[in-house]
Amino acid sequence: MSAKSLEVLVIPDRIIEQGTLTTTGRRTAVEVRLPWYRALPGSCIAGAKLTIDGVEAPAESLRWRMNGREFDFSELADETGAWWFPTDSAVLSGELPVSPGREHEVRVDLTLFIPYIIISDTETLHIEEHDIKTMKAVAA
Amino acid sequence: MTAVDRYAGELGTPIQGVTLYSFTRAFHGREYDLEGLIRKVAADGYGPGLEVIGFSSFRGFPVIEDSFAGWFRDLVEEVGLVTTSLAVNADIGIHRDRLLTQDELIDYMTLQIQAAAKLGFPIARVQISITPDSMEALAPIAEQHGVTLALEVHADQYASHPRILALRDRFAQVRSPFLGFTMDWGATVSGFAPSLIEAYRRRGASEELLAQVTGLWDEFYQQGPPVDQADHGQRFGRFIALAAQNGRPDLGIDFGINGTGLFGSARVADWLEIMPWIRHVHGKFFGIDENGEEPSVPVRDLIRLLVENGYSGAISSEYEGWHWNHWQSPFEIIAGEQALQRSAAADAGSRMITDAGEARSLLQTHLAQPVRG
Repeated sequence: MSAKSLEVLVIPDRIIEQGTLTTTGRRTAVEVRLPWYRALPGSCIAGAKLTIDGVEAPAESLRWRMNGREFDFSELADETGAWWFPTDSAVLSGELPVSPGREHEVRVDLTLFIPYIIISDTETLHIEEHDIKTMKAVAA
Repeated sequence: MTAVDRYAGELGTPIQGVTLYSFTRAFHGREYDLEGLIRKVAADGYGPGLEVIGFSSFRGFPVIEDSFAGWFRDLVEEVGLVTTSLAVNADIGIHRDRLLTQDELIDYMTLQIQAAAKLGFPIARVQISITPDSMEALAPIAEQHGVTLALEVHADQYASHPRILALRDRFAQVRSPFLGFTMDWGATVSGFAPSLIEAYRRRGASEELLAQVTGLWDEFYQQGPPVDQADHGQRFGRFIALAAQNGRPDLGIDFGINGTGLFGSARVADWLEIMPWIRHVHGKFFGIDENGEEPSVPVRDLIRLLVENGYSGAISSEYEGWHWNHWQSPFEIIAGEQALQRSAAADAGSRMITDAGEARSLLQTHLAQPVRG
């Protein structure tokens, strides 16, 4: 952690939207909120993990849906045209078998780049935030 | 006539206002949409000045459709507010693998300056990541649109910090009336915010640890602001060590970030270094106590300084306590801080402007020329 002036302006308690866990049985999705006060482009959404009842979805199966489009994380890396607005939910999904109708512990980890906070000649501040909530899975 | 001449001898009448950033938690929590929040700002008397962060409040920013701009300007007019500053961002790190080139940055900022003009904001707040060279390159673009660029002087880079003085000296050299500063009161804080201490208490920090945290901050305050980044880093490290020694290493980075990055330890008079270039003010604050005072920001001294130096631009109340204060509504707290500002202006022999017509007329005099949107 750099000791530069870091505004850590996060709202991490709101990352997971309560009551939004849906599953096909094999693929599972949850709505997530931006833990930051301003919109960020896809290129700044550097990574996510979806973990349910302690089991993490395989990284290559993760998908990110925002503004009606679905991305994998390699596509987001260059995406400066699609922005995550602070009042919008994005949908994070992955291959993870989950039983509908039952309570599950959902954990989401997010890594975001903050594009205007530059902490060295080559480096942009990134923040890692997570949230855990328990909710019932609904059949998609 | 220089800015100094213009202010000489006359007491300032600052314009009361607010930034929607103060209400981030309510907006982010979908309690108010943009229109609802603007209407509340007007109805509850937080204006007449209205500041907005482009990337927070306007979907699709910096692209602003004509129809949206028309809707926004009509709404602001209808409810009797006055647009003061549009906060813009220099997203130099928007490409993950490299920083923007100077030409790309100029293009990126130009779009936002155009958006400010279109929406009727006469000032764009820019941030410290913009270099003197970039500010100079942006001056003619700002002038073309009638938008003043007011670079934010924000904790931990106070007015006499070498980076700010380099910008000031360049402004003096370029002599564009469209380049100036936004004074953020967070650079001249006088104590660790009690509401943040309360938030740590709620996270289980012991009274002994909390006393040590405020004690350490007071020690740094006595020393004055950090002389360089190494000094800053050492202070950051002291907060981390303090948390670790007290068995709460989980709080160390939080103490360090807030103690060094949010509560700046320069003195109020430090602002005199850049006073003639101050075009906009963020009335940064963290809470209001039972006596109606801000316990950690010297609001009365700051208002007196502005009034006595003839400042008649806007002050956006910028409530930052929302990050940690989940137990109180921001609305009453902001009303309390604005009452304190008005009281302070009266004590200094002047007044705050709360009438929209008067505010519009003063802003036009305060700035080089009206926004052309």
